[in-house]
Amino acid sequence: MAFTMRAVKVPPNSVSLEEARTRTFEFFKSACRSIPTVMEIYNLYDVVTPSQLRSNIAAQFRKNAHITNTKVIDMLLFKGMEELGDVVEHAKQRHHIIGQYVVGHHGLSQDSGTKDEGASDFLKNFYKTNYF
Amino acid sequence: MASSLRAAIISHFRVPASQTLALNGSKLWTVRSMSSHGDDHLDKNQVIDRVLEVVKCHPKIDPSKVTPEVHFQKDLGLDSLDTVEIVMALEEEFKLEIPDKEADKIDSCGLAIEYIYNHPMSS
Repeated sequence: MAFTMRAVKVPPNSVSLEEARTRTFEFFKSACRSIPTVMEIYNLYDVVTPSQLRSNIAAQFRKNAHITNTKVIDMLLFKGMEELGDVVEHAKQRHHIIGQYVVGHHGLSQDSGTKDEGASDFLKNFYKTNYF
Repeated sequence: MASSLRAAIISHFRVPASQTLALNGSKLWTVRSMSSHGDDHLDKNQVIDRVLEVVKCHPKIDPSKVTPEVHFQKDLGLDSLDTVEIVMALEEEFKLEIPDKEADKIDSCGLAIEYIYNHPMSS
């Protein structure tokens, strides 16, 4: 039960966009600094390099770069920190990390061929990835 | 009995003064075999090479444009996130932890090289 009893600290909302921006960079840095630990606990040396993981993290940040609402940024930061905490605490398994951060959204399927042109979008997404 | 024994032993182990001076003067400072840092400070050219290597490895950068003086945002067309990414890569390469204030200032290869070369813990 110690796990659920743990105090969850939520930082106060960012007052300005500037503060949200600094906070985002801080979070990016802490994510980058935990890469060696992640490589170690999930034993990722044979599937990915630290710099690939780093650019993958950067890509996920960049995906939300257009957002200017500080509350939305704070929410995304919170979700990111939660995710990072889970990853670093080993609350995930190796295939989660590989599926989400190594293989990414392209998935293992190379569906550029003509054979599945008629397939529905649903089916294509189904083949592509579990993670949205 | 004990004191005479002690005196005999001490006189036996006496070291000439000139020898200790030599030990203090030169040898002791050049060889610090158990020290983990300090004497293996990096050569400037080595720092430049390794910094450029790290910068060239970034997927968005055209390796032919990279020079020791290049500015990340003005010359290479990177954004602030890419800059932070490069600084993180440099931290990993040189086994440093660059504090936020300094990390914000590093926006070109020249500054990065300067900072890392002057950092006592870089290796």
